[in-house]
Amino acid sequence: MTIKIAVIQFPGANCDLDAVHVLNDVIGVETSLVWHNHFKEANFDGVVLPGGFSFGDYLRAGIIAAHSPALDEARIMLKDGRPIIGICNGFQILVEAEFLPGALLQNEALRFVCKWVNIKVINNRTAFTHKMNKDDVLAIPIAHGEGRYYTDNLKELEENDQIVFKYSTEDGSFTSEANPNGSLENIAGICNIEQTCLGLMPHPERASESILSPKQTIHGRIFFESMIEFIKRRLT
Amino acid sequence: MTKVKLNGEEVNIEMTKDEFEKVKELLDRDPTITELGGFDVMWSEHCSYKSSRPKLKLFEDAEANYDYVLAGPGEDAGVIDIGDGYALAFRIESHNHPSAIEPYHGAATGIGGIIRDVLCMGVRPIALLDPLRFGRLAGNSHSQWLFKYVVKGIADYGNCTGIPTIGGEVEFDDSFENNCIVNVACIGLGTIEDFKHAPSRAYNPGDYIILMGGSTGKDGIHGVTFASRTLTEMSEADRPAVQIGDPFTKKMIIEATLEAVKTGFVRGLKDLGGGGLTCATSELTGDGNTGANIDLRKVFTAEPGMTSYEIMLSESQERMAFIVKPEGLEVVLNVFRKYEMAFAVIGKTDDSKVLKVFDGEELVVSLPAKALSESPMFKRAEKRPEYLERLLAQKTPEPTIGFKDIIEKLIASENICSKEWVYRQYDHEVGVRSVVKCGDGDSGVLRIIGTDKFIAASVGVNSKHCYLDPYEGAKGGLVEICGNVIANGAKPMAMVNCCNFGNPEIPESFWYFSKAVEGMNDFCRTLRIPIVGGNVSFYNEDEVTKTAIKATPQIMIVGIINGFENIITLPFKESGNDILIVGETEAELGGSEYHSVIHGLEGGIPPKIDEEKIQARWNLLFELYQEKLIKANHDVNKGGFIISITEMCFKNKIGADMDLTGYNIKKLRDDELLFSETVGRFIIETSSKDYDRILGLAEKFNVTVKKIGSLTSKPEINIKGLKQDVKLNINKMKELYDSTIPNLMEI
Amino acid sequence: MAQTEYIIEISLENKPAARDPVAETIKRDLLAKKGYDEVSKVRSGQYLRINLLANNEENAKEIVTKMCNDLRIFNPVTQNLNIISVKKL
Repeated sequence: MTIKIAVIQFPGANCDLDAVHVLNDVIGVETSLVWHNHFKEANFDGVVLPGGFSFGDYLRAGIIAAHSPALDEARIMLKDGRPIIGICNGFQILVEAEFLPGALLQNEALRFVCKWVNIKVINNRTAFTHKMNKDDVLAIPIAHGEGRYYTDNLKELEENDQIVFKYSTEDGSFTSEANPNGSLENIAGICNIEQTCLGLMPHPERASESILSPKQTIHGRIFFESMIEFIKRRLT
Repeated sequence: MTKVKLNGEEVNIEMTKDEFEKVKELLDRDPTITELGGFDVMWSEHCSYKSSRPKLKLFEDAEANYDYVLAGPGEDAGVIDIGDGYALAFRIESHNHPSAIEPYHGAATGIGGIIRDVLCMGVRPIALLDPLRFGRLAGNSHSQWLFKYVVKGIADYGNCTGIPTIGGEVEFDDSFENNCIVNVACIGLGTIEDFKHAPSRAYNPGDYIILMGGSTGKDGIHGVTFASRTLTEMSEADRPAVQIGDPFTKKMIIEATLEAVKTGFVRGLKDLGGGGLTCATSELTGDGNTGANIDLRKVFTAEPGMTSYEIMLSESQERMAFIVKPEGLEVVLNVFRKYEMAFAVIGKTDDSKVLKVFDGEELVVSLPAKALSESPMFKRAEKRPEYLERLLAQKTPEPTIGFKDIIEKLIASENICSKEWVYRQYDHEVGVRSVVKCGDGDSGVLRIIGTDKFIAASVGVNSKHCYLDPYEGAKGGLVEICGNVIANGAKPMAMVNCCNFGNPEIPESFWYFSKAVEGMNDFCRTLRIPIVGGNVSFYNEDEVTKTAIKATPQIMIVGIINGFENIITLPFKESGNDILIVGETEAELGGSEYHSVIHGLEGGIPPKIDEEKIQARWNLLFELYQEKLIKANHDVNKGGFIISITEMCFKNKIGADMDLTGYNIKKLRDDELLFSETVGRFIIETSSKDYDRILGLAEKFNVTVKKIGSLTSKPEINIKGLKQDVKLNINKMKELYDSTIPNLMEI
Repeated sequence: MAQTEYIIEISLENKPAARDPVAETIKRDLLAKKGYDEVSKVRSGQYLRINLLANNEENAKEIVTKMCNDLRIFNPVTQNLNIISVKKL
């Protein structure tokens, strides 16, 4: 019963190899890089849509990749509750493919921003956050130009417990200084109603090794460890 | 423009009448219009280096003299063996003229070009660095516009291709106002095996020639000769010679190329940049000692009805030429199909040593393959500019404001202040290799995943110093950039340079280039640093005002650190520790920020380099590293050592109580002591319990090391030992340091 | 002369000789792949709709053209200005 994870390689993805490295070499789960046209859901227990600039972000970030056959396959996984995580561009793709609600717009400052931020755990029941504590503050880096989350259905998101992370200060307050891109209500990541599909702008794969973190933290690992645990529980 | 008669018709060409005659002599006939277009482009300054080659011959043969240098100048990128089975390829290029006209696309396509050069060595590009020059920003909307869009162009292209920009440098000076400098560097990583099988040239007859990537269009025709002309003459008419980059296609090309190379069937690889298909095919066959038979009708074009001239000279971006073994053709083409990259088999190599290009039935080019690279060389005249005497004799007036005010003005000045506004726009973490990030060190440090080995890289030079003395300034650049990697714990391994100068046909401008090359040559030979590549950009001169840019021979150094625990970073770590300075300060305010910001002066005596002292200091530092005695290190440059110390206080809000009594060995004036930019000094943080050991070693290595202060937990810097004590507030200094560029750019 | 309010629609498009990677990708990777074979060409650009007071249609076009040239609203190196329509409000 080996757990198998896929990282989908869309044309223009950049953070695919990073995710494969963390999952294979740091977490230790069998992970394959799969070319988007070759992706078949039956072979995998979980899937990662990595960051990058799929199709150059042309027209709108994530829109062209959203039409890839890989998303049709992933939709089957969504229906039967296998964990799906979309990181940065992956989040944008999930939103355009309507796995998750809302939209990701250009950063308020109209510039790309690359820096480490703090995100607070709002929902620790999802497939990727159940090993976290509610109100934990995690240090994870962002790097994006179109990360401003927007929805006209905020009430629904709140009622269904779909808000998973919010940008915060180190001690957990949701200030505007802590919000790097102008996202509505400082929202950094959301999930589907079933709590199995997570989309977030920050990059947990860049925060999984102490050698890369400004304060030697490894908060990124918990995402993937939660996913493995969740899969194990499902399979038994 | 020269007018010549070709087959009865009058034609405009860029080359001189003499060069045209030489072409006819080489071919023993009139060239066809396509052949002539090829020579015109290949013999331009940018492609042929005709003015610089005679001088560049001074450099020693890096491949022959250093056993770890696998590829030297002349290849698409320099390659060095860094141990543990790994090799690094790196190169630096200029894209100045296109960026001055159209900063966003000019800078973006500059990045596109340098990525391709490294990719040609068959290795994955893993880092970018960008040293830039602009006119001063304050009150100058043109400079602000150029700066904003060059940075955005580099950011958008680099981010989209997923290659982190890990370092760079910006200097602002009036001389760059109409001739901005945009140099771009790229580092690629592979194994020695990758490199041994690296595609190089078309050495075998009977191989297929395949074009892959973007389609060939009418853009940029004669983009290269445009770079060899000064801007004011050509600008209006040259509007079409700036191309639009496509980083998405570039990213696909990177993946497709690397996968194709892994099949083992790719024997030659060349990107299509300046000079387009003409340059690529002639270099592949010329260097490979073969010939080729190419059919232009097979080339996939962006629009119908393109002439053979247009196809051969097009500089459409994002195209690569592959030389493929016949038995591997389908395997390689299947890789291209997987990535949905357009391709065309356009011909085959043969042993004729002649490059034959057909347009259907018509033979439009038939040249000895080496002909296009046999440009005449020019021995240019050089003459030391007369204004230098007066400039060097400039004396420093006594300051009329207090030192606290001077230091605050300096920390906020454009050339010293924080460049965070720039590097926040670059994804400097993609690839999960970035260990020492912008702001934490003098160089960018990357890990090699799966090893305990790290790469440090830095780029830059001080143009104001080079303006006053290009020989010492070029040496100084080497000392400074080597110092940057050494400050992070790395041993400098190799250098590439990008020479940005004025019009080589003007003796005073050529003199700057000549002296800079001599400086680089002398220093590198003495300190044993191989020069593995270089780029020359001439004609950075405004014809109307007759001003050339300040001489800018950019230096890039790559170094290696073995062991994570041996990486040193810049910020001060612990209150109570000692602050030591390595190296004496001389009265060398020439070309300093203190001179220009406080006194409005450009002259004075610039720093001189003593190779023996520099080598001794470096040896001492490595000994101290070995004994793990250094907690933080920052090399001293713009603004002098007091600025360096201030910068080290910022991150952890650690203060300093300083006493300079005893350091002023040469009895300098207070301002000379604080603000002199004497090259090759370091500020190090050490534990007071190690003081005696360190001083003992310093004596053994014959290096001046002095304790000049102690770290405190108060957010202040107190300086004693000058005529008047100085007290600086660190929070205020940080605010000044952080806000200059955002205030200027948030328009 | 009496001033009337006009609405002008303009588009800023890459010059025909310049590449348009955004449009090429939309056509190749989206439309063609999803069965829209009937599409032969796509060009991309930016759209602006401007309300302004002018003496007549010609004058309205003149003002907008001058404005776009003077303020570099379109990039003259790589783009063309295209007036799509002029209407009286």
